[in-house]
Amino acid sequence: MAEVDLTPEDRTETVRKGSRSPRNILIMSVICLALGFVLFQALTNARIFFLNVDEAVAQQSELGDKRFRMQGTVTTVPDTKDDGSLFFAVAFNGEQADVRHIGDAPSALFECNTPVVIEGRWIENTFESELITVKHSEEYEEANEERLEEAYKPVGSSC
Amino acid sequence: MTDTKLEIGHELSSGGLTTTGTGSKVTKVLGVAALVAIGLQLLFGLYYSGPEVVQGEAVRLFYVHVPSVLTAYLGFGITLVASIIYLRKGSQFWDLVAGSAAEIAVLFCAFTLFTGAVWGKPTWGVYWQWDPRLTSTTVMFVMYLGYLAVRRLDLEPRVRSRRAAVLGIVSFLNVIIVHYSVDWWRGLHQQATFGVDTKLDGLMLFSFFLGLVAFTVVFAWLLIHRFRVSWLEHQLRLARLDEALVERRAEGTIDGTTGAIS
Amino acid sequence: MNGWNFVIVGYSFVFVGLGVYTAYIIRRGRTLSKQLPPERRRFLG
Repeated sequence: MAEVDLTPEDRTETVRKGSRSPRNILIMSVICLALGFVLFQALTNARIFFLNVDEAVAQQSELGDKRFRMQGTVTTVPDTKDDGSLFFAVAFNGEQADVRHIGDAPSALFECNTPVVIEGRWIENTFESELITVKHSEEYEEANEERLEEAYKPVGSSC
Repeated sequence: MTDTKLEIGHELSSGGLTTTGTGSKVTKVLGVAALVAIGLQLLFGLYYSGPEVVQGEAVRLFYVHVPSVLTAYLGFGITLVASIIYLRKGSQFWDLVAGSAAEIAVLFCAFTLFTGAVWGKPTWGVYWQWDPRLTSTTVMFVMYLGYLAVRRLDLEPRVRSRRAAVLGIVSFLNVIIVHYSVDWWRGLHQQATFGVDTKLDGLMLFSFFLGLVAFTVVFAWLLIHRFRVSWLEHQLRLARLDEALVERRAEGTIDGTTGAIS
Repeated sequence: MNGWNFVIVGYSFVFVGLGVYTAYIIRRGRTLSKQLPPERRRFLG
């Protein structure tokens, strides 16, 4: 029987070629582009300040007309004007700010005593909002009319 | 694989094996348990539990959203452990376990992102926002897609497995970032579900745990099947290699040469 | 508010997704095992 050499062949060259194959480059490019897009969005959005109402009020002059996000709880019954704008007040840590919202209608959950995150800027002493998002706590209670009255009601609320 | 590694593998797929397919007695029992658990999850999630005081019916998404992300964490955790063991021992078994767990975890991560977006619209008012929790979860999803992509690169198998194992370990940092993102940065997303302020009414808590149990059993069942598919793929590669060797031997004999076969 | 539409969309995605993936894995396992000789069909040992 013939002698057969079964010594493993040197795969170094194959591997180097393989890692640079068009298929490999395409796959890794797609993944890197997707990751780059997500990170770009994250960093762009991270530049928008996220402040509580008390901080936003204290830093009003420094913020100027800079766009930022403000977190607080709605403390007045939202009032819709003829031009479609929505007026309400938000509070956090004992500080309150008047808000005029001119963007899209908020979630159906938006009402008095709701914790919200609003995005916009100071226009004189009023916060002009372009986006209202409703923040939910980590409390989940089964629907019950009696408890509804007490849900999320902050101290000093006029609702 | 050595005999020792095969024994470890036997634990994963203990029970009788069918001659075709990836089923066995163990998977049949797990499969029935998974179906029953999913049936109960649907019954409690959609029927027995009531609407929430603020969110209304939308709270039902909680029973699939949070169990999905916890199941994804479990899968990524298995990938981490299996990758570390692979790098230490170089066993094919752990490489296949790591890849199988990651694939299923990515599926559950996709469920998390989708149900989160669908839940966000009726509650937050938007499907999506580049909030720290949402962004870090998306980064985690894309990085593990990258991990799965590395496993499919045209490379020498051992090089590919080593690179995948390193990525499988590094990517787990995302799980930590995702989990603590709500504490480290301000955002729209609520705090961790089981933090100090968490409150879940009786049947809601039960429905959530039912969802978690159901998804964990489904994960275990899928992991065994996915591992066996990977194992069969590995066996098929070896079989083809053996065939090629036999052909090369045959060529050498027929030629009657005494030199090496190139 | 009534969020049933969102609930149905979310649940459908998850359970249809699970069903499709499961079917894919089972079919792939059957196809592969048919391509292998019986002695290699054993997962272990």
